[in-house]
Amino acid sequence: MDFTFSEDQLLFQDSVRGFLVNEITPERLRAGWDTETGRDPALWQQLAELGLTGLTVPEEHGGLGMNAVDFVLLAQECGYVALPEPLVNHALVAVPLLEDLGGELAARWLPLAATGEARVVAAVEQNLVVEDAHVADLLLLERDGQWYALEQGQFSCERNESVDPGRRLFSVAVPAGATVVAGGAQARILRSATLNRGALGCAAQALGLAQRMIDLSVQYTADRKQFGKPIGSFQAVKHHMANVAVRLEYAKAPVHRAAYAAAEDAAAAGLAVAQAKLMACEAANLAAKNSIQVHGAMGYTWEVDLHIFMKKAWALANTWGDAGWHKQQVAEVIFADGAALGAGATFQ
Amino acid sequence: MKLSFSPEDELFREEVVSWLADNLCGEFEPIRFRGGPGDEHSFVEERKAWEQKLAEGGWTCIGWPKQHGGRAATVEQQVIFNEEYARAGGPGRMGHIGETLMGPTLIAFGSDAQRERYLPGIRAGREFWCQGYSEPSAGSDLANVKTRARLDENTGEWRINGQKVWTSLAHESQYVFVIARTDPESVAHKGLGFFLVAMDQPGVTVRPIEQLTGTSEFNEVFFDDAVCAADDIVGAPGEGWKVAMGLLGFERGVSTLGQQMLFQNELDEIVRVARANGAARDPALRQRIAEAHIGLRIMRFNSMRMLSGGGDDGSLQKEAMIYKLYWSSWHRNLGKLAMDVLGAESEIVPEAPYGLSRLQSMYLFTRADTIYGGTNQIQRNIIAERALGMPREPRG
Repeated sequence: MDFTFSEDQLLFQDSVRGFLVNEITPERLRAGWDTETGRDPALWQQLAELGLTGLTVPEEHGGLGMNAVDFVLLAQECGYVALPEPLVNHALVAVPLLEDLGGELAARWLPLAATGEARVVAAVEQNLVVEDAHVADLLLLERDGQWYALEQGQFSCERNESVDPGRRLFSVAVPAGATVVAGGAQARILRSATLNRGALGCAAQALGLAQRMIDLSVQYTADRKQFGKPIGSFQAVKHHMANVAVRLEYAKAPVHRAAYAAAEDAAAAGLAVAQAKLMACEAANLAAKNSIQVHGAMGYTWEVDLHIFMKKAWALANTWGDAGWHKQQVAEVIFADGAALGAGATFQ
Repeated sequence: MKLSFSPEDELFREEVVSWLADNLCGEFEPIRFRGGPGDEHSFVEERKAWEQKLAEGGWTCIGWPKQHGGRAATVEQQVIFNEEYARAGGPGRMGHIGETLMGPTLIAFGSDAQRERYLPGIRAGREFWCQGYSEPSAGSDLANVKTRARLDENTGEWRINGQKVWTSLAHESQYVFVIARTDPESVAHKGLGFFLVAMDQPGVTVRPIEQLTGTSEFNEVFFDDAVCAADDIVGAPGEGWKVAMGLLGFERGVSTLGQQMLFQNELDEIVRVARANGAARDPALRQRIAEAHIGLRIMRFNSMRMLSGGGDDGSLQKEAMIYKLYWSSWHRNLGKLAMDVLGAESEIVPEAPYGLSRLQSMYLFTRADTIYGGTNQIQRNIIAERALGMPREPRG
């Protein structure tokens, strides 16, 4: 039983964090809101050069052959900067799906995904709207129990505005006559695995978002003085942040446990992911609520960066299965006949 | 990252299961599932006998090093032992303060003579300890202890004077570890000593405190020229705070796993009740039960993460700080959930006079969780100031 990450995994996280924090500044995020696609091919290229687009692509297709455990810390860092590019979907969700679909489709697209030449995005029925469909070179879409592989230009998409100006959401219609790449029982298995990885991606990003909001608030409350003292010295203020720190710290282990399940232990993944997403998104939402409170009126302004992260946390909490849906998954396990509860099953 | 048990671990599990099946029966049948939080006053003699039974089988102090009588069990093995112990309904451990607090403290800070003198009694389940920290004027401000220890120049012994309070199971213990002021001029955490004091002597008086459950698990302890041998101080005079804080560090280690297993049994009972009385069909209660279930898993994952060293990024220390706040808030909510699942029935006391049901006792006992061992407010100060680095509040 070992929850630690390897030296290599931690070093990679460090270098990715360094790159992202330097590059993806709030100013750059705001500038992206006003561009047509909201996405930046030059940035995607840089992510590819760092090896991120090919991280989960099998080695025989030109990738690094890593898995969800290797990627989860990086997804946290993507959350920390509110990365707009579809990297988490591409590497954590779509590439493993492409691998599972196999055949010619995988053989053709995986090498392109590895080099970053192709952005691959996946979505299931649960996703009413598809994020980043407009820049997906390949869209793997599940509708009505069937999977379709749609190339850019083969489908039409209609933009939906998101509460998070950094997100680009689209309603996608499956074109008549599109080829079904998986159906029946296989499609259901792939949907559940894809949903699990999508929710895991949200959970990991939520951890990063919560940390970012804590950092902003700790800084602000150290600088802002009232009654001649930094407001962060007052218990009424600092207890708000302590509550967030507890939620965040305790959400990490379930997210890492879920990543392990997604990579190694598919049978346990559904429950582990539900727990992880609930805990991580709750932590991020509490971070948002309490951070706005300790920022006072400034926290309510468009000018202060806090709302960038608050809105992304809000959006992620409601995508890839909202809280009610995930809680229902847990309740079904607990109340199932012959449920494996009790002392021998506490690691489920 | 590797989140599974090895084949050797599974063999160890079989060993634990079969030993418990063979021994936790017969005369010990009545104490199964008893003596947990809120029920610690129950079956005291039987539970002491059970400690000795455990010791005979080599199941006390399993995490201690072999040279001190333990098994040097790995973290995984300790997890397994705690899981199976709880599943079998193993009673609340009378010896837990000795095993998880006093023993590790002596192993870390004690002298060879102290280890030889005290560890075997703990290991054998014969000698029980209680904790002399809090005082009437030293609660959240623990460093404000007033109890004094003076070296008697004639006898060469320490003489202890003062009062401790909220001392759990003092009336069932042979020894108490006491923090007391060795330098009468000192203030706060300087000038303290950490003493090992026998309870059975004329200078020590124990007075039970009746709790709102109607039972008495903790006490006031008065020291009136109580005697403590010259070499029964752990560390040097003036080092008491360091030892006392080191001990609290052990409180957040493997012992948390056993606690979580007791919580699991409580949650299982709530699920059973909810299925039986229909509360499980109420969507709101169903969701709260799911939340409680998740919260307990989260504690478990985090203990495992902490124990496997998963805090190399500096979060380990943060983790230890936040554990108390997390579990106490969770458990307090569980108590309320239990009463809400019982509904109107929660008011009815099953046995006169005031013989509360297990869940009623649990509900009341959980009101104390967010207070003892550091209130939630104090914990939040520590987390904000030490983990987040927020500015310190001016203290007078």
